[in-house]
Amino acid sequence: MHDKRKRSAGELGFNGLLFLGSLILLWNAYKISGFESLSSPGSLPMAVAFAMVVSSGLILLENFRTPDRDGTVFLRDILPPVIIVMMLFIAGYAVLLVPLGFLPTSFLFLFLSILYLQRGGLVFAVSVSLFALICVYVVFRVIFTVLMPAGIVPEGEILAAIGRFFGGAN
Amino acid sequence: MQALEYFLIPWLDLKLLFLVAAGTFAGIYIGAIPGLSVTMAVSILIGFTFTWDVYPALCLMVGIFMGGVYGGSRTAILLNIPGAPAAIATAMDGYPLAQKGLAGEAIGIATVMSFVGGLIGIAVLAIAAPTVSEFALTFQPRDYMLLALLGILLVGSLSGESLIKGIFAGAMGLLIGTVGMDPLTAEERFTFGFTQLWGGISFIAVMIGMFGVSEALAQLHHIDKQAVKQKIGRIVPNWSSVRKYLPLSLQTSSIGVIIGALPGTGGDIAALMAYDHAKRVTKNPEVPFGQGAKEGLVAPETANNAAVGGAFIPMLTLGIPGDAVTAIMIGALFIHGLNPGPMLMIDQPQMFWFITGALMLANIFMLIFGLTGIRIFTKIVEMPRSVLIPLILLLSIVGSYAVNNSITDVYWMLAFGVLGYFMKTYGYQLGPVILGVILSRLLDDNWRRAILSENGSLAGLFKGILTSPLSLVLFTMVVLIFVSQTPVWRRLRRKAGIPATSHDQDTTGSGA
Amino acid sequence: MKNTFVKLAAAFAVTTGVMGGAAFAQDYPAKEIQGIIQWGAGGSTDTVMRTVTPHAEEVLGGTVVMKNMTGGVGAIATKFVYAQQPDGYTLLMGAENPLLYKVMGLGDVDYSEFIPINILARGVPILVANNDAPFDDFAGMVAHIQANPNTVKFGSTGPGGLASVVTAMLKSKTDLQVTEVPYDGDGPALTALQGGAIDVMPAVLGAAIEGIKGGRMKAISLVNDQPSEALPDLAALGQSNPEYADYLPWGPFFGVFVKNGTPDDVVAKLTEAYAAGAQNEDFVKLMTERGYIIESLSGQPAADFLNNWQSVTAWLIQDAGLAKVSPEDFGIPRP
Repeated sequence: MHDKRKRSAGELGFNGLLFLGSLILLWNAYKISGFESLSSPGSLPMAVAFAMVVSSGLILLENFRTPDRDGTVFLRDILPPVIIVMMLFIAGYAVLLVPLGFLPTSFLFLFLSILYLQRGGLVFAVSVSLFALICVYVVFRVIFTVLMPAGIVPEGEILAAIGRFFGGAN
Repeated sequence: MQALEYFLIPWLDLKLLFLVAAGTFAGIYIGAIPGLSVTMAVSILIGFTFTWDVYPALCLMVGIFMGGVYGGSRTAILLNIPGAPAAIATAMDGYPLAQKGLAGEAIGIATVMSFVGGLIGIAVLAIAAPTVSEFALTFQPRDYMLLALLGILLVGSLSGESLIKGIFAGAMGLLIGTVGMDPLTAEERFTFGFTQLWGGISFIAVMIGMFGVSEALAQLHHIDKQAVKQKIGRIVPNWSSVRKYLPLSLQTSSIGVIIGALPGTGGDIAALMAYDHAKRVTKNPEVPFGQGAKEGLVAPETANNAAVGGAFIPMLTLGIPGDAVTAIMIGALFIHGLNPGPMLMIDQPQMFWFITGALMLANIFMLIFGLTGIRIFTKIVEMPRSVLIPLILLLSIVGSYAVNNSITDVYWMLAFGVLGYFMKTYGYQLGPVILGVILSRLLDDNWRRAILSENGSLAGLFKGILTSPLSLVLFTMVVLIFVSQTPVWRRLRRKAGIPATSHDQDTTGSGA
Repeated sequence: MKNTFVKLAAAFAVTTGVMGGAAFAQDYPAKEIQGIIQWGAGGSTDTVMRTVTPHAEEVLGGTVVMKNMTGGVGAIATKFVYAQQPDGYTLLMGAENPLLYKVMGLGDVDYSEFIPINILARGVPILVANNDAPFDDFAGMVAHIQANPNTVKFGSTGPGGLASVVTAMLKSKTDLQVTEVPYDGDGPALTALQGGAIDVMPAVLGAAIEGIKGGRMKAISLVNDQPSEALPDLAALGQSNPEYADYLPWGPFFGVFVKNGTPDDVVAKLTEAYAAGAQNEDFVKLMTERGYIIESLSGQPAADFLNNWQSVTAWLIQDAGLAKVSPEDFGIPRP
């Protein structure tokens, strides 16, 4: 704890957020059952939320005491554009998954992110995403029968029809 | 002699032999992919093998179980993404080895040591099952509580450079574990009015987010850097190094068997406890822990495979599941017309020896498949990151959905991925978060049970601890480990001239 | 290869799309049916559903993909199925718990929003005790508890669970001061019973029977109106203590449901399939060996069963002071 590490860009803000979050959680933990009894459902949540407040408070204090910056730039070293873009892709995936369905969303996600990270290579991106998607689909959907949101592609019906086509074994 | 005959059934029947092999092979891959779990595979197999005889069905399940527990180490070593909870500790020293280009060697050691651990687990199952299960039953709620406390103290050895950040992360994990409807009172905790949160936050979703997504995001920093070329000279470790780790592996396997045999605890906790144990007893590791110490690989890998044998102990002797997978297998036995329970050993002793034999066989296949496919596997790390990272992200999403068929879990997984990324960037270790989530229920439920059993009296609880030998031993361990981790103690030791242990050195350990 | 696959898929998509819209029910099931199991893998609900469904599939001519969706005493799964289209492609595979959601404050969605396809079987509760407990029958247990108030530990599975209902039932007629220690389910509680962490556990017979036969625990009383074939020597509470007779028989049950609004012919097809499954020889044998009573109810008898169960249990819980909301507020009549 006595490391003379310098402060990175955004560190103070992040630790501050953690401290604030811990306080909110402590309040919520208190609301579960107050100080009713040692065996109440709120006792452990309150104890751990308290530990979070104290530890994040200490971390924040330590942060204040080391005002030296280490020369990192937030948008270059901590959250460079490439990470922001990927985070946006993931967020887009999460939003589109239910309405659009698993297959189109996943293809779009793989294709766009490979294209973006590779910076070019359209054919490569399409073929790799298709291949990967087929593998994932076969393993998760066909073998492990995980029913992902179907969305606009009626893949359940297609699969059943293919099953009937090949002798109805499915 | 009759026992040997039953034991050899899966070895002598070509079909059963093949099924064990196929199960083990599939298990390795199921274990390696985060989000595909052995639990899931075995419950699907129940439907799949419904019309089969019980022997072939069990062969497949046993193989998947053994292979799956081991398979988690693959992705942990190669990508820093544990494929299964039991491999979390493996990543801590396995991944640094891969970064040095020693992935082949790391996988080799992990494989051989998993075999050793599996062997010890099976041996204990075969020789001492009734004794161990009677012992496991003597654990009272207060003992489980102490065990959980012991586990939480591992935060000390998982925190890396900053203990206080480790404490924060551990507490956060414990809190995540309490979210949802309290199973004991049906009281809502941290649900903020959302019914989606009643079921709590899936532990697997947290794990995949914290390890999979945050690692993938972190690796975007080096998107253009050439991947580390892996040297695959020596895969099978030589006998002298195996012998060197044998004493340690015996100790960590014992931890694995006991934790595995306890109903309610499994390979994940066993592996973390074994890692901590290794750190404690290894005086002078060649490489510091956290930077590629082989001991840090040996300990969790022996323990989690030993826990497989351990989990079968209460299942086969008493019909009590030792973990989630054996719980499903009990269901499978029931569906196949057997009555798993204390009478199984008496009415159908062949079942016990048959499963022991199949486990042994699966352990051998695990060694064979584990040592042969390494070359292809290590190619994964050499894949261009621009393809690997999107793939990891997609697998993380599908995997976290598959656990409980829940979109909410996917959102949580992504949120924890982003949070984990920032925590990592600012010097927080993520290991303690997962540790907290794993132990949360164990601690919370048993603390409350223990105190309720004494009608709410704390004095009664302490009296119980001080009068039971088992509780007293656990309590003493908790106190000793706690004291040995506090700075005061270290200073005292230094003054007394006792050389620093590995614990003092690990403050320099990096989190990679 | 890839191209042909895509073409094939597209062709099928068109045909099935057309058929799916026009002639819905004749094709049922045109794709996999999801079976959402309220409880975790390896539990009794899970085992029952995974045992009966393959037999039902044979009659149905389709596949039922079973998934466990745990949490919130089954409320998560119930809400999930309730949120799906009522097209018969999502089944709810559950136990008795949703009938108590309203009084336990777990939301408004219970089985009244669903059509019962089949109430498969009913479990019989039993009181079991640790082998070292200083009593062997119900009268002895009552005497011991009354002599030592608050020292005997009863296992429970949370409010509204089987153990809490049986304990409430016992307390309603006899003065019993016990310490209740909650567990996650009857499996872990019975394990704790064998280790001496609790003294008595009201459990379902099926979960305890092997332990009793193996001499790991002793049976105190069968909470039923008549003895069970599985344990013929054990006295039934309804006979030894007639004051409990009006509650009995009572017990947890397992059932398959679809959401209200599902087309009648789909319901009929599912009902036929699960009725065949429930009467399958293998299934019946498995269930009776474990002390379950096959019900195989559907249609009006199933609805009556559910209503009766709800009114008995909800009021029992209300009278024991465990309910968060009075059953009266939901118009649940007193039995």
